[in-house]
Amino acid sequence: MGNQEIWVYVEINNLMVEPTSFQLITKAKQIANGRKVVALIAEPKMSHLESDIKEYGPDEIRILRDERFRGANDEELADALFQVVKRNTPNAIIFPATVRGRSVAPRLQAKLQTGLTADCLDIYYDGDNLVQVKPTYGDGVMCNIICPDKRPQMVTVRPNIFEAKVDRTIKPKIQAAEFEFHEDARSEVEAEEPVDHTSTDLTNAKVIIALGRGAYSEKNVELARQLAEKLGGKVGVSRPLTDKPEFTHSDQIGQSGTTVSPDLLINLGISGAVQYTVGVEKAKKVISVNTNRDAPIFDLSDYGYVGDAGAFLEAMLGNLE
Amino acid sequence: MKIIVCVKQVPENDSVKIDPKTNDMVRTGAQGVMNPFDRNAIETALELKEKNGGQVILLIMGPDSFTEVLRDGLAMGADSAYLLSSKEFGGADTLATAYTLVAGIKKIGKPDVILFGRQSEDADTGQVGPIVAEDLNIPQATFATKVETISATTLEVDRDLESSIQKVEIKLPAEITVRSEINFPRYETPINIVKSFDKPLTIWNEKDLNVDPDKIGKKGSQTIVTKVYAPKKETKQVKFLSKKAGDAAKTIINELDL
Ligand SMILES: Cc1cc2nc3c(=O)[nH]c(=O)nc-3n(C[C@H](O)[C@H](O)[C@H](O)COP(=O)(O)OP(=O)(O)OC[C@H]3O[C@@H](n4cnc5c(N)ncnc54)[C@H](O)[C@@H]3O)c2cc1C
Ligand SMILES: Nc1ncnc2c1ncn2[C@@H]1O[C@H](COP(=O)(O)O)[C@@H](O)[C@H]1O
Repeated sequence: MGNQEIWVYVEINNLMVEPTSFQLITKAKQIANGRKVVALIAEPKMSHLESDIKEYGPDEIRILRDERFRGANDEELADALFQVVKRNTPNAIIFPATVRGRSVAPRLQAKLQTGLTADCLDIYYDGDNLVQVKPTYGDGVMCNIICPDKRPQMVTVRPNIFEAKVDRTIKPKIQAAEFEFHEDARSEVEAEEPVDHTSTDLTNAKVIIALGRGAYSEKNVELARQLAEKLGGKVGVSRPLTDKPEFTHSDQIGQSGTTVSPDLLINLGISGAVQYTVGVEKAKKVISVNTNRDAPIFDLSDYGYVGDAGAFLEAMLGNLE
Repeated sequence: MKIIVCVKQVPENDSVKIDPKTNDMVRTGAQGVMNPFDRNAIETALELKEKNGGQVILLIMGPDSFTEVLRDGLAMGADSAYLLSSKEFGGADTLATAYTLVAGIKKIGKPDVILFGRQSEDADTGQVGPIVAEDLNIPQATFATKVETISATTLEVDRDLESSIQKVEIKLPAEITVRSEINFPRYETPINIVKSFDKPLTIWNEKDLNVDPDKIGKKGSQTIVTKVYAPKKETKQVKFLSKKAGDAAKTIINELDL
């Protein structure tokens, strides 16, 4: 029932490796317990992203190379991957739970008629079974899922849950994967425009000022932005604020937004619903401001200020001068 | 244009929790509502119909109580609805759900477009749409933020891939999953609610669908849930600051060396 390899699908985004793939290579190595970790990449001829992948020390990098992967559709990708998997059934395949990962993985799953668990927060082996830890009913309930009878075991894993670690002690073997590119003209990618997230790149921010429904006013948004600037950080929001003119979905922190890991997080007017808090578990120092002393957000805070968000912002700005 | 929209009923927001002592699932609040993303899928279908003519058909797999959600969709303006209901369908994972929906789609008769929500709020996988597309061997455009008619056989879809927006031209028949950003679902008007009760609602079971009994429900599912529990929350010892904002700010600035 499959060999003893863990394959990590390396996703390409705007001609770069999508960072989740590196995180998953590190995670796969940590849980491998003797299994071989193979990074699988489908890339155009000249891109040579294997030099980036090497840094993270998978045992092997297997490359599907074809110029047509530039702008390939989900059907073509799933078809190519299927050919490689069929030839050499791995024990598990791990995809990033990005939009692309979540689109291609289920098509591959259907071809293989195996199980696929979406958006895992953790994975580990119990014997030969990969235990797939997944939230359900919005992160309020966790469940463990296994796929006992079929291989490969397939999962998509949420971005930024695991840390990517450079490992130069291993010199990965680089191999070409055998497959044939089958063009599928039923869907054509006509254009792809990168979206500029530089103004709101929360993922890597060291300081985050997070605004919630209780702190929203035009004035507070302005004050929060000033404070963020002073502390060299970014402003993020809870979900209700993504409906406000100043913010979009890319500013959202939480289960259906971005997972963040700042050194300092200041929560303003945020109650602390689990869908929000799962996104901030990795924050180091947490200060929360809320008018309600019993708000759940205080349970995960180092400092609490019971009072008005606006007053707190002004006091911070005043005293930082 | 013949359009099938797959919809699902889900528990209301935050109405399902785990009792931390017993680890039992506790449900509060209403029985269930239409999966919010599926409303966007129905809206997309209705707009396609307004432009191209045709019909909008709703399809759901689930218990008989799910007819409520179908009535909702009919009241939004869909033309007819199908419920695939049987004990045998219970416990299905995405693979078995998709297999059953595909059997329903084949019996309804091949559509031009099959629409899905980007994901369900309870299972939260977003997998059912792509599996259905693969099983039917049709192309897909997932996470759509815009769907435009190019011709009777071609649509143009914008996909939001998070770090980029992709424009795809897709030949029908095709499968599309939609994001909530795509539109504002219309409300059910009183007239449409009244009308919805006269619209055809068909219920099929596994015999009507002529499905392989090994591929439906729990039996047809490759994944097994081994444990359900409350997420472990790390709690910190919070230090409450002075009620005076100025003093609170000074304490933080000093202690954190800001
Ligand atoms: C499937 C699903 C996914 C979700 N994903 C996310 C997600 O990714 N991110 C997310 O954030 N949410 C998400 N949610 C929503 C989540 O459940 C909560 O509804 C949301 O986080 C609440 O936002 P909030 O804390 O800002 O607002 P509220 O819960 O309304 O809290 C406002 C808080 O502000 C306090 N307050 C009021 N006035 C003041 C004042 N003057 N000064 C200071 N404090 C004040 C109040 O005491 C209260 O605690 C999701 C929900 C579901 C069902
Ligand atoms: N039981 C079901 N019946 C009909 N459609 C479904 C069902 N489950 C999921 N879907 C559709 O598939 C989409 C994705 O659901 P999921 O894969 O469960 O996240 C939903 O938005 C629905 O459009």
